[in-house]
Amino acid sequence: MAATSTETKTAAVAAKPAVGGTESLGLRLLRRWGTIAIIVLVGVGFSVSSPWFFTVSNFNNILFSMIVSCLVSMGLTYVVIAGSFDLSIGLTVTTASIVTAYLIPVVGPWVAILGALASAVVVGLLNGLLVTYGRLSGIVVTLGMMFVLGGLNIFLTNGYQIAVPYTEKAFLFIGQGTIGPVAVPVIVLLCVFVLAHLLATKTKVGHYITAVGDNPMAAFYSGIKVYHWVILSFILSSLLSGVGGVILTSISTSAQPSGNSNYLLEAFAAVFLGATTLGKGKPHVLGTLLGVFFLYMVSAGMSMMGFPFAMRQLFIGLVLILAVGANALLNREEIHLKFI
Amino acid sequence: MTETPIVEFRNLGKEFSGTRVLRGVELKFERGEVHGLLGENGAGKSTLIKILTGVYSHSEGEIIVEGKPVTISSPMDAHKLGLGAVYQDAELIGSFTVAQNVVLGGEPGRFTLNRKAIRDQGAKILKEIGLTLDPDRIASSLSAAESQLVILATLFQRKYKLIVLDEPTARLSATEAELLFRLIRRFQEEGITIIYISHRLGEIRQLCDRITILRGGRVSATLAGADITEERVTELMVDKTKNELEVFNPGLARPEGMLQVDQLSCDQLSPLSFEVHAGEVLGITGPVGGGMELVARAVAGLVPHHGQIKIAGQTTDLSSPSKALEAGIALIPEDRRKQALFPNMSAAENIALPVLSRLSRGGFISDRAKLTYAEQVIKRLQVKPDVPGKAMKFFSGGNQQKAVIGKWMSAKCRVYIFVEPTSGVDVGAIRDIYEIMLGLARDGAAVILISSSMREIMALSENVIVIRDGKAIYRAPKAKCTHDQLLGISMTGRVA
Repeated sequence: MAATSTETKTAAVAAKPAVGGTESLGLRLLRRWGTIAIIVLVGVGFSVSSPWFFTVSNFNNILFSMIVSCLVSMGLTYVVIAGSFDLSIGLTVTTASIVTAYLIPVVGPWVAILGALASAVVVGLLNGLLVTYGRLSGIVVTLGMMFVLGGLNIFLTNGYQIAVPYTEKAFLFIGQGTIGPVAVPVIVLLCVFVLAHLLATKTKVGHYITAVGDNPMAAFYSGIKVYHWVILSFILSSLLSGVGGVILTSISTSAQPSGNSNYLLEAFAAVFLGATTLGKGKPHVLGTLLGVFFLYMVSAGMSMMGFPFAMRQLFIGLVLILAVGANALLNREEIHLKFI
Repeated sequence: MTETPIVEFRNLGKEFSGTRVLRGVELKFERGEVHGLLGENGAGKSTLIKILTGVYSHSEGEIIVEGKPVTISSPMDAHKLGLGAVYQDAELIGSFTVAQNVVLGGEPGRFTLNRKAIRDQGAKILKEIGLTLDPDRIASSLSAAESQLVILATLFQRKYKLIVLDEPTARLSATEAELLFRLIRRFQEEGITIIYISHRLGEIRQLCDRITILRGGRVSATLAGADITEERVTELMVDKTKNELEVFNPGLARPEGMLQVDQLSCDQLSPLSFEVHAGEVLGITGPVGGGMELVARAVAGLVPHHGQIKIAGQTTDLSSPSKALEAGIALIPEDRRKQALFPNMSAAENIALPVLSRLSRGGFISDRAKLTYAEQVIKRLQVKPDVPGKAMKFFSGGNQQKAVIGKWMSAKCRVYIFVEPTSGVDVGAIRDIYEIMLGLARDGAAVILISSSMREIMALSENVIVIRDGKAIYRAPKAKCTHDQLLGISMTGRVA
């Protein structure tokens, strides 16, 4: 009798959103390769306009100049995947650099490096603990940490740079040495990239951090230790900034107490630009690497062609908004009510 | 069934700030049974389930899981004990595949991620429970129904012992419902207990081994097998003792029409026409998810819809919430915390929001005018405590609801739509809210009451429409309806 009543239902089944198979090939290609096409086109443009652009030595220069920024950006990628923000990365580079330069004469270069990385980890751990157990917002905590580190850096150095003795040949090799035609720090960068990429894509660490960032409630109910993964993402972010700080010290044979603020902004630009590559729509380590490359390539190319610095800033800003905007158009949500 | 029950409630009680919502509940859930849970809105079903899943703690009595007394103080505790629930707004990791979601938290291996193993394991579980879904589909592309089924699969993977399903077929088509029923039987074979909450008697008779009916916070009866008949269930659900408490709508409709709805339809709602006069209260009822909520969402401009809507004879464009508000339509939604209130803003700020332009002088809002206005509304609606500066989140459910109504009252709307106006409202405030609603009708507004509580419908409305499966299956003046008759139509879909 009543059991058959459900069969009388005539209302339409909820329309399934068109994802995957149903959309046109062009749209799919655009989503996957759109940003990369822009990067390549800009590169081709530079190569045509300047005979020095498409050369090994120029690319070597670009790679070399983007090393620290790249490390910082890859670290930030983890935090953004986990659904938070880290504004303290730029100054973590400075702090790690100062700690390295300070400790080298005292304990030797290798322990000094460990000390610098450990101090970076402490910064990340504090950020992570405050954001999770402390129930504070990531923006506020890391903004505060940024000011604290900024003050600490000046306090530790009295505002003067700390030089690394020229006798520390082994330490300076990290930043200034070459193996064949390739600079050692470029090799370090590639190694860190491979590790970071594998960690993000082939281990439970990346899997769970992604899950937590996507839907923390569902992750919580799946028995995932949400807080631990958020804290780990902050530690990874600081740690990679710390590695950047060590390399920076070696490259410049000194630690500068200030002047590393551009890393933070470059990192955010790179992460969000990278998120639009390969159709992922969210940050990933490889995309971030491409993002940083784009920023530095534009800088190098435009300065070769004689554009002033202001033009470069303008161009990068426009490309960032365009790429992210186009990506948002391709992945339209029903109602857009999130403004972070 | 002589085994120890999977979960047993002994003399369970729950009190919310002085109001008893559950008392002396004695209930056993056996291993591998499908146990139906029925009761009107406010009978205590959802409170009971929230206690079981750790959202609320109980005030008195004991919960015994597999023979051992336990305390369940958080959802995590419940999950550790193997007690889970699938709610209507089901949650998955949107960017993961179906298989990755199913296996989430139990991935094979220690550190590295074996994508193939995860896919295979997910596919195996889907196959085991008879779910034909592509394990590689991205979860965000699933329909609401499919998400629900995938969530069930995740609970299966995590070896849950008891799963609560709250109105699971509310959003499912007939074929999808059939798939769900197969899944439930499969779970039953594995010894998993299902608590099945539904207002659809057909499903309940088809699925449940036993049913328990709650009434006024107590267990009214537990029935098994052939005893589950429409007459018995309605009789046990209806709380006859409370009738004298009710307000009564003596008939306030005026001759002039106010809202005229012609062939209104949207996804899941077949074309529907009705008219509400000024001063009339139209009651719309039916099973949860059967389409009655869509009427509110369509008229308030929240979902795309077809059809013509006239207000006081004028055709009106209701394609967005702001246009609906301009046309004089106020929606008082069910989920007030999410959709109607700003919990961190004060009561005064909440109440004055729609009339801010009237309280401004030269473009600046006058704080004093705002406060005076809010005080008036608070006094008129008897919001307690009468502290306009207190943040909204510190008020009780009933007083929050009054504030939501207060928000729209002086915005001079012509049509008021209430969706489940007393859900989560403390008993003491219900009568006040009813009086306020009748007051709006008395002032000449058209009022639409959408509610699954027949008591509410019978007390307030002048005309009644029952919507089920997206269609109006019954309409009549209230004078011709009885409480039991409406409940029967809503539960079975048959008009006697």
